Amino acid sequence: MQITRVLFENFQPKAIYLFYAFGYAAIAVFAWGAYTQIRKYRRGQPDPSWGNLAARFVDMVKIMLTHRTLKRRDTAAGKAHALIFFSFLTLLVGTATITLEYDILKPLTGWQFWYGKFYLLFSLVLDFAGVGLIGGLLYMMYRRKWLKLPKLDYARPDREPGDPDYDRSGYRREDWAFLWSLILIGITGFVLEAARIVWLADRPAVWDVRWWSPVGAALAHAMQGAGLSAEGASALRGALWWFHGLLALTFIACIPYTKIKHIFTASASLMFRDPLAARRLPKIPEEQASAGYKTITDLTWKQLLHLDACTKCGRCHEACPANAVGAPLSPRDVILSLREFANKTMNSGKLPEAAELDIHGKGVGQVFMETLWSCRTCLACVEICPVAVEHVPIIVQMRRKLVEDGEMEPILQKTLQNIHKSGNSFGESKRKRAAWTKALPFTIKDARKEPVDLVWFVGDYASFDPRNQKVSQAFARLLHHVGVDFGLLFEGEINAGNDVRRVGEEGLYELLASGNIGTLQTCDFKTIVTTDPHSYNTIRNEYPEFGGQFEIQHYTSVVKQLLAEGRLKLNKKLDYRVTYHDPCHLGRYNKGFDAPREVLKMLGCELVEMGRNRDNSFCCGAGGGRIWIPDPVGKEKPSQNRMKEAGAIEGLQVFVVSCPKDLTMFEDALKTSGFEGRFVVRELIELIDECVEYEVWEEVQPQPEPEAAAP
Amino acid sequence: MKIMVPVKQVAALDEDFEFRDDERDVDEDFLLYDLNEWDDFSLEEAMLIKEKAPEGTVEVVVVSVGPERVDESLRKCLAKGADRAVRVWDDAMEGSDSVTVGGILAAVAKKESPDMIFAGVQSSDAANGSTGIATAAALGWPHAAVVAGLEYAPGANKAVARRELEGGTLQEVEVACPAVLTIQLGINKPRYASLRGIKQAAAKPIEGLSLGDLGLTPADVGAGVALSRVRRMYVPPKGRAAMIEGTPAEQAARIIEIIKEFKGE
Repeated sequence: MQITRVLFENFQPKAIYLFYAFGYAAIAVFAWGAYTQIRKYRRGQPDPSWGNLAARFVDMVKIMLTHRTLKRRDTAAGKAHALIFFSFLTLLVGTATITLEYDILKPLTGWQFWYGKFYLLFSLVLDFAGVGLIGGLLYMMYRRKWLKLPKLDYARPDREPGDPDYDRSGYRREDWAFLWSLILIGITGFVLEAARIVWLADRPAVWDVRWWSPVGAALAHAMQGAGLSAEGASALRGALWWFHGLLALTFIACIPYTKIKHIFTASASLMFRDPLAARRLPKIPEEQASAGYKTITDLTWKQLLHLDACTKCGRCHEACPANAVGAPLSPRDVILSLREFANKTMNSGKLPEAAELDIHGKGVGQVFMETLWSCRTCLACVEICPVAVEHVPIIVQMRRKLVEDGEMEPILQKTLQNIHKSGNSFGESKRKRAAWTKALPFTIKDARKEPVDLVWFVGDYASFDPRNQKVSQAFARLLHHVGVDFGLLFEGEINAGNDVRRVGEEGLYELLASGNIGTLQTCDFKTIVTTDPHSYNTIRNEYPEFGGQFEIQHYTSVVKQLLAEGRLKLNKKLDYRVTYHDPCHLGRYNKGFDAPREVLKMLGCELVEMGRNRDNSFCCGAGGGRIWIPDPVGKEKPSQNRMKEAGAIEGLQVFVVSCPKDLTMFEDALKTSGFEGRFVVRELIELIDECVEYEVWEEVQPQPEPEAAAP
Repeated sequence: MKIMVPVKQVAALDEDFEFRDDERDVDEDFLLYDLNEWDDFSLEEAMLIKEKAPEGTVEVVVVSVGPERVDESLRKCLAKGADRAVRVWDDAMEGSDSVTVGGILAAVAKKESPDMIFAGVQSSDAANGSTGIATAAALGWPHAAVVAGLEYAPGANKAVARRELEGGTLQEVEVACPAVLTIQLGINKPRYASLRGIKQAAAKPIEGLSLGDLGLTPADVGAGVALSRVRRMYVPPKGRAAMIEGTPAEQAARIIEIIKEFKGE
């Protein structure tokens, strides 16, 4: 007898028919579920991510094969998932091959390959896969049950206990059902294999090659040792065969209706990910009457897919600065709320009335206004999501609707009006934008009047905030000292609009962006430089969509280059013990992690990293327009949370930042969190300033009034 | 049912401003224009009534007297939901005082025949607080000034207005309609006009009216008929303040000395 897979042996034809009936039923249930889900996604709006499918597919496969996104900040879980994933995939391919041969190739062509060496090797591989699957699942069970991870308790910061949608125990039950069903399929598979070996022990084609199924063989020996007879094994095999088979079929049928669907949705979500998500927010089409998202059908199909891709892993929940300080926002709960809302309203044949599709409000599955306004658009959630859910664009789109309806803090409303009126968030006169240059002993060129190499886009905080003006003056001295040919836009500059856009005031953003683009286009220059990461982001990533194609650098890379080229000479070295805070808009948004660190190294500082650094940097709390909205009194602020982290560094002398808003936020937090006197907050520019020996300024002629210099 | 809301585009001073050569006003270069703050509240009050009533039953018409730049402020009102905007202007109107402007607004009201007129208590730049009342006088309508609370059902023949008086007291008055009410800050929470809304409102027409449309002649308006005129605008010299140091006895002695100085002793 040939060595091959034992299939349907001793089965009555009726039993085989019955099994096929179950199989087809499972496929039908799966197909229906898949259809309703795809119908749901198709009820969303078009999304620009459709296209370039081959490249996207390759990208997705790379991420899945490396498990890169899953291993980040939770290596153990990532590896366990990889074990489950690859084992499951192998078992799936193995089972699919049997179907391919038995149900397709054999009936059609009579060709069979499931023999001999090939079969034995496959058997061995599948046994390993089975062990991998069970091992991975056991770790996941251990993790859920005993590690007590806060990110897995599903506590909602945006709902109170007793609210109808506070309870997330349904999700917990689903998690466990998922783990148990998979592990039972794996375990029964092995027991079934062992029972078959015991049952057919007298058949050499089975018994002699038993060690090609090592787990099954070991179990078989144990069963024999326990006194199981061939008849007993036959009966056991019969019962287990049905149990294993039906469980597996049920599992397949359940895919579109349960978290198992992440097999498909997470893959698709990864495939359609937008590398510029939230770095470049979507434009509102000119002809669209209403701004932002009001109903669930305003989301794009891709965003509806994102909602289903979420596996509740909680990495965003953990990374979110708003959630960390007890604000009523968890990015995960926004996604889950909207998912529940979408499933409630969009799964039936007919869509309900528009009023029932409203995602704003206090009802079940709706998102609170307070939740949306808690977001600092720091991108921590988007950046860490292993399945490429893009939370921030959804939140900003929903805010656009709030802004249109005036549902915001009066103080924010006032700031937006100020920006509209005077072009800056301080409500200061346009004429005063360059007032900080008056204290300089030299004149800065007006880039609107003469060609320059470098246009310095200063930004609001660096222009108007007295503390940051000192930094701007230091940077101006530095550029002047090195002999860089640079200029300003003076009162031609207006707020860059990065935060206005993230607040959701798109109309004002369009006005600001086109204003600055218009001014910049009249100037003759090579590159823009800015000390403000917020301006940097929007000019770099968003202005191009409004016709403004400019080269822009953050000052940290300009200074790094000046130092590396030897144009900027350091007169002394600093021996400070420092830590460095990555600004969201320079680091996470634009991957500018290295230049500031290299500059610090060149200055001679000893850099001690905080636990949350680089891509995991913890937002100061000022992003998304939150710098214009006071944080609630009596609660910890994100900036204070950060100060505590820095305060834990022994002997820390300087907390270095490279963003004007960071300087404002952290100097304040230094005082309020009680670290004043322990260490200081400094702009990187100020440290560089300490090391540069400037010429004697007295000899320079006094500089004319900037008002007189401007038209 | 119609509510007319007269609004004004006011001037705010930029920092480091300069006066005009004739010293009777600030140089226009240093002025920033925006909708008068009080008018945000009067428009909001009209909008609240409109939105509470069945759709299409209440019409809100904003009216302003001023040159073309005023269109920008009227658009803001349209963006907030006003149904129509009317701008009245003729170069002869330059220099009109608040009573004349009240007369012009009254002429518009005769044409529009609104059921109510909600004006702001005052404008933040001229601060006469008289345009609304002058409109009522020219129409011969009842009025209530400095209204901080209002109960009014569209089309009703009377309204209950709570007027803000000194010392935090309120006076509840019943006023026969149609009437002119001047609305005080804080009566409601004015809505935000998003920039997209303002941009979209640019497509809505602003109706223009001139002297002839209102049955007026150049002789009825302008600086010529103004009952008062600006003689001079200036920044007064800064007052002096000094902290008196020392023990209570020393401080008292110094105060006596200062009083004597002022009395010329």
